[in-house]
Amino acid sequence: MKRQIAYYHDKLLRDGSATDDRLALLVQDDGIISRGPDDLCRLGQSILEALGSSALVLARPPLGLDTWLLYGAGSASALIPPDSETRTFLHDIPLLRRDELIADPVATMVARLGQRKGILVEGIGLIAVGPLTVEQAYVNYSSLFHALFVKTLHDLLQRSCGPQEKALLCAVRNWTLPLTTSGLQFRNETALQGRDAIWQEMTRVGRYTVEQRLVDSFFGNISCRDQAEIHISQTAASLDALEGCIDPVPFNNSTTCGITASSELLTHRRIYEQTDARTILHGHPKFAVVLSMHCTTTDCGIDDCWRDCPQVRDCLGTPIVAGEVGAGGLADKVVPVMANNGAAIVYGHGVFTTGRSDFAEAFMRLQQIEQACRDDYFRRVSANC
Amino acid sequence: MNGWRGQALHVNLTTGSLQRQQLPTDLLTACIGGRGLGVRLLRDFIHLSTDAPDLPLIFAAGPLTGTFVPASDRIAVVSRSPLTGTVFDCSAGGRFARDLKAAGLDALIITGVSPQPVWLQLSGMSASLLPATKLWGSDVPTTLSNLAGHGSVATIGPAGENGVLYAGILFGQGNAAGRGGLGTIMGAKQLKVISVQGDQATAIADPSRLQKANRDILRLFRASPPLFGEFGLQAFGTATFVDLMAQRRMTPTNNFRATFSPTSHHYSGPALRHALRPTNGGCNGCPIACKQFSHSGEPLPEYHTLSHFGALNQIDDLLALLQASAGCYRLGLDPVSAAATLATAAEISGNPVLPAQLAPQLKAISQRKSEGELQALGARRLADALCRPETAMTVKSLELPAFDPRGAYGLALAYCTSGRGGCHTRGNPISHEILRRPVPTDRFSFTGKARMLCIAENAIAAIDSLAVCRYALFGASLEEYADALSAVTGHEYNVGALAGIGERIVLTERSYNQGNGFTCADDQLPERFFTSAGSSDDTMTIPALDRERFFAERRTYYHLRGLTDNGTFATPPVDLLP
Repeated sequence: MKRQIAYYHDKLLRDGSATDDRLALLVQDDGIISRGPDDLCRLGQSILEALGSSALVLARPPLGLDTWLLYGAGSASALIPPDSETRTFLHDIPLLRRDELIADPVATMVARLGQRKGILVEGIGLIAVGPLTVEQAYVNYSSLFHALFVKTLHDLLQRSCGPQEKALLCAVRNWTLPLTTSGLQFRNETALQGRDAIWQEMTRVGRYTVEQRLVDSFFGNISCRDQAEIHISQTAASLDALEGCIDPVPFNNSTTCGITASSELLTHRRIYEQTDARTILHGHPKFAVVLSMHCTTTDCGIDDCWRDCPQVRDCLGTPIVAGEVGAGGLADKVVPVMANNGAAIVYGHGVFTTGRSDFAEAFMRLQQIEQACRDDYFRRVSANC
Repeated sequence: MNGWRGQALHVNLTTGSLQRQQLPTDLLTACIGGRGLGVRLLRDFIHLSTDAPDLPLIFAAGPLTGTFVPASDRIAVVSRSPLTGTVFDCSAGGRFARDLKAAGLDALIITGVSPQPVWLQLSGMSASLLPATKLWGSDVPTTLSNLAGHGSVATIGPAGENGVLYAGILFGQGNAAGRGGLGTIMGAKQLKVISVQGDQATAIADPSRLQKANRDILRLFRASPPLFGEFGLQAFGTATFVDLMAQRRMTPTNNFRATFSPTSHHYSGPALRHALRPTNGGCNGCPIACKQFSHSGEPLPEYHTLSHFGALNQIDDLLALLQASAGCYRLGLDPVSAAATLATAAEISGNPVLPAQLAPQLKAISQRKSEGELQALGARRLADALCRPETAMTVKSLELPAFDPRGAYGLALAYCTSGRGGCHTRGNPISHEILRRPVPTDRFSFTGKARMLCIAENAIAAIDSLAVCRYALFGASLEEYADALSAVTGHEYNVGALAGIGERIVLTERSYNQGNGFTCADDQLPERFFTSAGSSDDTMTIPALDRERFFAERRTYYHLRGLTDNGTFATPPVDLLP
């Protein structure tokens, strides 16, 4: 358990979603093991004992996001993330302010954590529960952070900029890692043959997407086709730990072992069936997600834009389509636009890119789209300042 | 009243009395319905032997039944099992639960023994007992056909009439309260059939909140590979597990003497699709629609039926497996126990059952004739009677289903802690150890599995009490169903509250079993799993279970449940449910 705590502690710091001095992880089996500042660990222990869950993450997100969002939420009791993926899993994010924690803070937090996978608490930050495992607590924390980061950036895009906003944007700019291909290696088409080579390459490229912050938690998926099979990452697989987590799925459906494959298997399959793609990458790069939700049309009569928008919008040359994850119709929307572009952005969700012969093309394209969106985002918000 | 009806019908078959009684609101809010309500209503009778006339047979719906909350139209059937001696509940699909609610009832409590075979007819607010002498002896399809037009029907086949210890209760369209011999209880009461119909709608406290909760649940269903994925339950039914278990090398084969059958692909999901072009369907209003039907509308076998008549008995003839499944349905037998008992008999005799022998053998069991007399008692009693107890692959006398515990260690633990005997559904570790839902866990590790099992057992007890299908947890969670329950009933629930109710139900069941003499000696796997390795190959090793680690984790489970090292309550618990 100590090894697990250390692994996810380091992962949270590496992906930049928690601040080093205000991060605590706790795991409960027969007893509780914790790592982090004493005050957070004590609080976490009380919460964990009351919940009876297996793990807990308490952390202050970077950039003062917690303070910013609580301030901006006014009197709202919860934040509703606008991006489709996190809304699907989180629904909303309850807020607790200091004045609500006077009488019995632990009981109050436990009650709210009994409703949702995580909460935002004034003065503490994000608290995420892992009912079964520490990985689940990490995933829930990461989802919360992604949702709140995207919401913050989306909010900033829609209003004029004062000194506080400028300071936040400056901090965000510094927080984002430069996207680079320096030091990255890819197998070429010739070397990408046979199951072992394909799986090794998928494992390596999956790790690259995490290291470059093109995905959060275990969101995102990756695949490569050969003559008879799609090799695809499993559902709930971390892209930086794909060893043993890749399913070979025959095109002819002669076996059902692909039941554990990514929920986006259908989209991957359709792309392979209808385009010349050899590889597919699907990530959730934050700036592409934010820009995909930026729409100035107000009189279209559609409420659930992320699912129902019939338009193919454009984002710096990449088409944006709406669609619900899994069996919700995403494949029908994504595939037609992939044929011409080799890439598509899904409204409030993420980006699909393809490579015709190897993963280099798919990865570069994913990176280029995010870089372009990042540059455009800062250009737009600067114009508001 | 929103959600609930607040009423149960008590039928005393000895006296012929039919009495509606109020169910207090406090009782309903605390037990919810389904399994929780059934277990609570059994409290004063659980000490009775399984042939006692006063032992109740309880049918309980849930507050969400009839509301269009996804997968919420299940019926819980609860009593004490003649096979295991434990408190026993089964969750069955179909329309029965919805029609019971529409007749103004949350539960049906049946006690006594009728002097002659009877048909309990519920129609709206009226109820009557009718002679069923002409139906007695009929197989299940015949009874269902004769009762067409009388609403939803629950019936037993010849197996239940003749006291086979693993006879089920059938609801049509392949739906069954299959395990544990609850059909035997119904048969002993001379109750051949129950029909129910009504027209009352379930009242909903907050329709717009419910609409949102339903949308949240459906969105998660659509994002779940095991439910709506290309190879999920909607596409292939539970037969989808044939290939998966083979790939994971945890297919119980040759009476659990191996864990891989090289010919299981003969009856896999794709094989069924290729051979039969099945259509899918499901319980009333359920979007998952996990059941598969032939062109003529016959229900096709579930995974455990296919695998146990198949690999466990070393048969790979698809037609024979289909006939065996249809035979069990027709005769009212639990196919899992029937197949496992035949495999036990085959190991003892050294003669595997041949495909052509399946149909006559099942008939002999249902009639308790010749070899069927002993086989009708289940694998454990059969093996004991033939002085080969080590061949019975059971826990608490319940035959294990078609997941080999050497391939998933949480599952090994769950088989033992399950209050109703060797069954995966109480904690369903397959969800995280194999299907990676909600997160993947290491299937070859015991570490942390006791706590995970406690959490899952509590959640599933709550889901069973909502009378929601357990498959729903492959997509959604208590979080979304708590919202739905709050919206329907107007009483506020959250995950913690539901898990707390689930925990009280699990502990209540354990206290019932303790009262009937169960201890840690009964929370034990067959010796074979600790001494014999499974079927390894070049890519995967399936060792025997580590006995020391198993017992250590079981002790942790007891500790987390507040039990002694003997798996019992240190002091008799006060009533855990109100």
